[in-house]
Amino acid sequence: MKRLSRLLSPLLIAALVLGSLPAVAASPQTDLVGTAEVLEASTIQQDRERIREVLAREDVQRQLKLQGVDADEVKSRVAALSDAEVSEMADRLDQMPAGASVVGALFAVFVILLVTDILGLTDVYPFTR
Amino acid sequence: MAISLMQQPSRKIPDARLAGVFALMLLIISLSGCATTPSLSAEASRTLARDTLIEDVPFHGQREYQCGPASLAMALAASGVDVEVDTLIPQVFLPGKRGSVQPEMLATVRRQGRIPFLLEGGFEGLLGELAAGHPVIVMQNLSLPWWPVWHYAVAIGYDRRAQQMILHSGMTPRQRTDFDRFDATWSRSQRWGLVALAPGELPARIDVSSGMQAISNFEDVQGPEAALPAWQALAERHDDAAMPYFALGNAWHATGAVDGAIDAFRAATDRDPTLGAAWLNLGLLLQAQGRESAARQAIARVARLPGPWQERARRQLD
Repeated sequence: MKRLSRLLSPLLIAALVLGSLPAVAASPQTDLVGTAEVLEASTIQQDRERIREVLAREDVQRQLKLQGVDADEVKSRVAALSDAEVSEMADRLDQMPAGASVVGALFAVFVILLVTDILGLTDVYPFTR
Repeated sequence: MAISLMQQPSRKIPDARLAGVFALMLLIISLSGCATTPSLSAEASRTLARDTLIEDVPFHGQREYQCGPASLAMALAASGVDVEVDTLIPQVFLPGKRGSVQPEMLATVRRQGRIPFLLEGGFEGLLGELAAGHPVIVMQNLSLPWWPVWHYAVAIGYDRRAQQMILHSGMTPRQRTDFDRFDATWSRSQRWGLVALAPGELPARIDVSSGMQAISNFEDVQGPEAALPAWQALAERHDDAAMPYFALGNAWHATGAVDGAIDAFRAATDRDPTLGAAWLNLGLLLQAQGRESAARQAIARVARLPGPWQERARRQLD
């Protein structure tokens, strides 16, 4: 990842700088200030943010593939995430709770959970309700 | 002497075991937080309906591990999107984790053309949404923090007399769970809840900034035309705030409605005369329409405002 970043960062900086030039040159044709732009505060930071975002999106795509998501689904799944969600997933996908509900694996602590179920602290075994 | 030494431990072991079990139970109870009935503020207690049940939420039973896609299918159906669980599984399920993570739950709602709003206001907020007819996807840890059983369910109603929550959960439609037990399991996800709504509808409780964020994220995925009704609704709900009008202006402009955009940017500058971006956009649009003097006036406002748009405004005036 680090080597990849080192390779990609200069390219991305160049791409973003070049990409923003025509917009400045053609200014009078109503190129308005975007909503997301204002929501994200200052501009210099934005460029740095955008580079981080692009890298984070690649990172999450890679992680989703590792998790067994179909290759042709990966792109659209990452595209539907907001920037904040992408960086959250890039940083800590492995620690994220994944809603699933598998009770079988918990047999080892059956007795403790049975007691806490009866106390109304947990909701693992439906028959205690 | 020797005999009494031998005997002493054997007499003490049962006591120690009992004390150990007792200590463990105390530890569990103290660490997992006691199951106390969640309380409502006096105001909510007076204004909230005694009970409510959103009748038209279809039930989809979950197959193994698929409570995420199943919950989404139910909430989306209630908002008018009929989508099969099987369609959603490849969009949200993570085979490696055998479950679905929260950010992707939000992302999948966006892909289906609905806006995901994170629930605000905890338990009281949850009852408020249900009373307003919005089913809420909740994340629970049904077990203890050390052996988590993370689970998504759809809250579809409540009964304050019986102190019960009504949920489509797992294989059980309209499951009734006591308030205190539900809140104990729900609080372990920091009371995470998700409301999926058609653009133009808003949660019962939504503040300006989180509304802006939710709709802006939706707009990035589905485009300004789809987001337009949502901006209109947010501007109407928070009529004194400038930012929703600013966003509405941009959405109008992106769909080609210049007059609507000009009105919206004007409304934004009326509400917050220091919002440079709104003055700038207003000026640029007026300029494009050939209304030079009005345009210069608006852009001159930005040029006097210290901020990120000052530079651009000065260039525009030269």
